[in-house]
Amino acid sequence: MSTATLTGEAPADTPAARRRPLRPARVVLHLFLGTVAVGWLFPILWAVLTSLRSYEYTASNGYVSLGGWTFDNYLTAWRTAEFGKHFLNSLYITVPAVLLTLFLASCVAFVIARFSWKLNIALLGLFTAANLLPQQALLIPLFRMFTQIPLPAWMSDSELLYDSYWGLILVNVAFQCGFCVFVLSNYMKALPHELYEAAMVDGASVWRQYWQVTMPLCRPALAALATLEVTWIYNEFFWATVLMRTGDKFPVTSSLNNLRGEFFTDNNLVSAGSVLVAIPTLVIFFLLQKQFVRGLTLGASKG
Amino acid sequence: MSRPRTEAEYLARLVPPSVAGLNRRSLLAGAAGAGALLGTGLLAGCGDSDSDSGAGSKVVSVGSNQSDPKPKDVTAKVMDGFKTSSGITVNINTVDHNTFQENINNYLQGKPDDVFTWFAGYRMRFFAGKGLAGDASDVWSKLSGYSDAFKKASTGDDGKQYFVPASYYPWAVFYRKSVWQQHGYQVPKTLDDLNTLGTQMKKDGLIPIAFGDKDGWPAMGTFDILNLRINGYQFHIDLMAGKEAWTSDKVKKVFDTWAGLLPLHQPDALGRTWQEAAQSLQQKKSGMYLLGLFVGQQFNNDEQDDLDFFTFPEVDSTIGAKALDAPIDGYMMARKPKSEANAKKLLEYLGSKDAANITVKNDPSTLVANTSADTSGYTALQKKAAELVGSATEIAQFLDRDTRPDFASTVMIPAIQQFIKDPKDISGLLTSIENQKKSIFTS
Repeated sequence: MSTATLTGEAPADTPAARRRPLRPARVVLHLFLGTVAVGWLFPILWAVLTSLRSYEYTASNGYVSLGGWTFDNYLTAWRTAEFGKHFLNSLYITVPAVLLTLFLASCVAFVIARFSWKLNIALLGLFTAANLLPQQALLIPLFRMFTQIPLPAWMSDSELLYDSYWGLILVNVAFQCGFCVFVLSNYMKALPHELYEAAMVDGASVWRQYWQVTMPLCRPALAALATLEVTWIYNEFFWATVLMRTGDKFPVTSSLNNLRGEFFTDNNLVSAGSVLVAIPTLVIFFLLQKQFVRGLTLGASKG
Repeated sequence: MSRPRTEAEYLARLVPPSVAGLNRRSLLAGAAGAGALLGTGLLAGCGDSDSDSGAGSKVVSVGSNQSDPKPKDVTAKVMDGFKTSSGITVNINTVDHNTFQENINNYLQGKPDDVFTWFAGYRMRFFAGKGLAGDASDVWSKLSGYSDAFKKASTGDDGKQYFVPASYYPWAVFYRKSVWQQHGYQVPKTLDDLNTLGTQMKKDGLIPIAFGDKDGWPAMGTFDILNLRINGYQFHIDLMAGKEAWTSDKVKKVFDTWAGLLPLHQPDALGRTWQEAAQSLQQKKSGMYLLGLFVGQQFNNDEQDDLDFFTFPEVDSTIGAKALDAPIDGYMMARKPKSEANAKKLLEYLGSKDAANITVKNDPSTLVANTSADTSGYTALQKKAAELVGSATEIAQFLDRDTRPDFASTVMIPAIQQFIKDPKDISGLLTSIENQKKSIFTS
């Protein structure tokens, strides 16, 4: 791409070459950037390409060939893995988990940022440190706990926290809160103190200061976090696989496994399934790109 | 994000998010809608099972790993058959085959379904021994049509039955009849015959034995059959149970023989899946392939009749060629089913010839375990496979089903792959297997 234009310009620029001593470095830079971009895009494009070809064709001609175009993989994948149902399951888990995470994390962040008491730093440290904990290490204790905690039958047919959406929502909320608290508290600390003084003079309660002063101001941070969290929780695969037992309740990421056969795996079909599963994250990303990128740098500088 | 600069800007920001900003509004509205959906959806989704766990209930649940479209369909038909004969409704919980298998420990210690699909052999005995499976001995007293080999494969270490076999498939050497006719090949009876045949195939421009071990498990079949032919069934089972030493001359001979056959195998096997190896057979590039009956999945419908097989030839005439790998799939009962009576009734039905008949009618790729079933619907290949297993003196279950799962996956897969990569250092490899075996089997 950019390398092509560069080499194209090269002959015309020869008289000016002395004025641009950085030229070779720029060529190298663009070459590097081009290679990295291709390196990142290649697996995705390859998956899309593979998903559009029939297994029979690639089996006999190999994957380094062109032809055998078909859209059947998508139809078959949607049908055999029952994606419709599983997308709904993902929705049941992701939406409440994100809303709950943001609400709880903003509460904690508000307290940490706006009130000074002895345990402020310790509390923030606790939440941030929890980020570093490998989730897998907690698998067995969590599994045992979940199989011991009863739920009423109207909440889950398993009558346990194990194998229920509630359990998965809780797990995701617990693991995502740390990061959100960290980001939100940094953001809230940067809000001007005068706002709160004015609010107090007007007689606003703590709740009002939180809900009507802080929250609206935090909208950019919340939007960025919501984008990230939706992607992360939606992509979460591990907990759904170990804490669920009923195949019909798996979220879409775990149900992707349905496309693997007992002995035989049709890679073209799996590619089609993966592309389908990736679409929601892509949609979210393109809709909310701005927030997404901002979300990555939110904790980096105050404000 | 910029700070509000004017009062108006600041006030504008106090407007609740749900009313401000078009883009964000639609997003939040969507989220709120989904939330509302969730409120009703979750409750509906979760509350649909009024699970009356009383003894008189007419419901039984089955955990099934039959996630491939065809077997899934057959399972549903068999369960329907049970419903019409008994009036008890079956709730099938299908989890994809691999996840089900990897999660079995969690699954059984959590809250398993009343009846679940599982495998015969060590894998069954392991969980039965841990008290995670229900005793099905009184179901067996009502079953008929099973050979002793199948009953033995369903029996735990304490002598009770914990398993009801449903289907099985043999491992054998597959070939295309048309290719063999074209070159005039004969089925080899001994290892020497096999070697001669392989050399001839090489001359004819064929790869004698297709081979792929990217996934780690297919080559276990080669080890199994060589060990069964060279050292016999009992030694094989004892070796798998950790009772025999891997460093013994007997095991060394197995690997030596295999090393002698490796030049006849398709090279670079570690980069090839069994599907790709099977395709080389299907495309007539290879002469034969040692695999399970499922190799037929890689053949088109019109090529199925061209597929034939023979059991792996004899190596030692005192041992013969009568033992083979034929993994048996079937059903087990949870340790504390919600309704034991219903679960047992279901097991009894699953072991009956009625259930077997439904399977035969609907799935041409499996063999049913119940010998009294009507097998007139079998294809020629199925008939031959059933005869082969029927005439077998002993049936092994396949390496990863005959030994501890952790030993099979963490020790044997890398060891066999190492051997295929570098077949020279056999004794070093065997010492390493033996050391790892000791630490795993004593733990």
